[in-house]
Amino acid sequence: MCGRHQAIPWILSCFLLASQVQPLRAEEHGEEDRLKRLEERLARLESNLERLIDVLVSKSEGESSPEARSQLRSLSQDVQTIRAEVKIEATETQEQVAVAALEPPAVDPQPDSPADEIINVPYSGYMEMHINHDQINPTTLDFHRFVLLFGHGFGERIRFWSELELEHAFVEGGKASGELELEQAYLDFLIDPKFNFRAGMVLTPIGIINERHEPPAFHGVERPFVDTVIIPSTWFGAGAGLVGDLGNGLHYKTYVMGSLDSSFFSAEEGFRDGRQKGFLENGRNLAWTSRLEYRPRSGLNLGTSFWTGETGFSFRDLNGRLKMFEFDGRYRVGRFEGRGQFVTTHLGDAAEINQAIRRQVGINPNIAREMRGFYLEGASSLVPSTFPHDLVGFYRYESFDTQYRMPQGFFPLEQFDRAAHVLGLTYFPHPDIALKVDYNVMGNASDLIKSLNRWNFGIGWWF
Amino acid sequence: MRFKRAALVAILLSVAVVGGSPSELAGTPAEKKKIKIVAERFSFTPSTIKVAQGTLLELELSSDDTFHGFRLPKANINVTIPARRRDSIKVLFDARKPGKYPFECSRPCGAGHTMMRGVIIVE
Repeated sequence: MCGRHQAIPWILSCFLLASQVQPLRAEEHGEEDRLKRLEERLARLESNLERLIDVLVSKSEGESSPEARSQLRSLSQDVQTIRAEVKIEATETQEQVAVAALEPPAVDPQPDSPADEIINVPYSGYMEMHINHDQINPTTLDFHRFVLLFGHGFGERIRFWSELELEHAFVEGGKASGELELEQAYLDFLIDPKFNFRAGMVLTPIGIINERHEPPAFHGVERPFVDTVIIPSTWFGAGAGLVGDLGNGLHYKTYVMGSLDSSFFSAEEGFRDGRQKGFLENGRNLAWTSRLEYRPRSGLNLGTSFWTGETGFSFRDLNGRLKMFEFDGRYRVGRFEGRGQFVTTHLGDAAEINQAIRRQVGINPNIAREMRGFYLEGASSLVPSTFPHDLVGFYRYESFDTQYRMPQGFFPLEQFDRAAHVLGLTYFPHPDIALKVDYNVMGNASDLIKSLNRWNFGIGWWF
Repeated sequence: MRFKRAALVAILLSVAVVGGSPSELAGTPAEKKKIKIVAERFSFTPSTIKVAQGTLLELELSSDDTFHGFRLPKANINVTIPARRRDSIKVLFDARKPGKYPFECSRPCGAGHTMMRGVIIVE
């Protein structure tokens, strides 16, 4: 119940405050001056808030009116905005200075935003360019990935997220060229931390790299071979499912999504060409995939995933159920970090699929019944933690065999039982920019076909 | 000094918003609790924080990789968490009313950004 005598000090106080909550402009003064002025403005705001509260407390006989609450909330938001800007300025100009500005506390739960409120999520993206040089082939310069991510919020409960990727910089119909891919485009219906619904184009939640492939997020110019040949990352498709945080560091995802098409499997590339990528996916068979991650403490991540689906839908009377099981771990302590991953697969009706493809194209694809791969990686920062940039040295050993177990009547091609030693450096001039170099010593089990060692150079960034 | 000033504003804002009286101002000070939250693609650790009603919660936010955001919409908090090797940021939360206070990453950080979430439960 705001009477006139209560309204006057209110209006005066609000005017006093509002007169100081002006949009911050980019000005021509030096950063220090700007920071100083912002802090002075903040001090004035705090002082005025204090006075306002004194007025309120002295005048109010009961609870303040809804209008008063609303105006105070608005004012407190303004204070936070200015404080955040002061903080951002400090972060940008004083990289070595601890930014420990304390935020005003939250005190009164606000109701959920109205259903029609729009929350704009800014765009982001990542890019990477590679130079690859081996012992025989011409050196290649490849702008490998140009990826843009866009999001949008339909209120607090429904969110959209997408990832559009241009690979190899150039796309032309009918010719060998790059690819334009819609890797993600889904809606999240946020119901409860433990239980949320997702539908659209989704990433298959398997392994480390398929969902964490921003260039500064992994070492090595190219993604690990296991995450390319055995797990065909980037692996995505149309689907729907549940995601959630079960508490105590447990997170899960479980989707039903489009399956792989075994008519495109191969001895060398495994399942890679069997991805349907959301393009008129054959819905006769759907796959089921799930991932469980456990983070008992900061720096330690353990994960396990599976994928199962029938892949023989291009052939009559063939199921070709593919089962993939994977587990992985990542650990970071101080300047050291390590990660490892193991994946194994089993394809049903492998002999029949080989025969069916041979009848269609005249060549035996020699697809294995089982494929298997693993890698272990160790890395260490090579500069003091106080150094503004970071330089990391790493070594990764990989073993990946796309002919691990063959169906009866088929023999393995030993050149596809492969191993790699990857040794390299990653330099971070900024946490989101990675300059990379590595040398790959490649080997295989064949006595006749020699693998090619290679140098890779790359630059990648995220924003 | 900055901490004291911010804490003063925090308490004042609390009283202002809930319409507290001077006697409440002079009441027993809230229990203070500090929690460190580490952000990493695509999770907060810990992601569930339980506190008793009346706790003044100080959250120290840091990142193990890139820049992240910390948005607590029910309290109008939205800050940027500095990237790894760039220190941390602190946020105060006055847990006066029981309830669930979801928070999320507000700075796009990669493929799994939309599910980088957590919750403060005030009991």
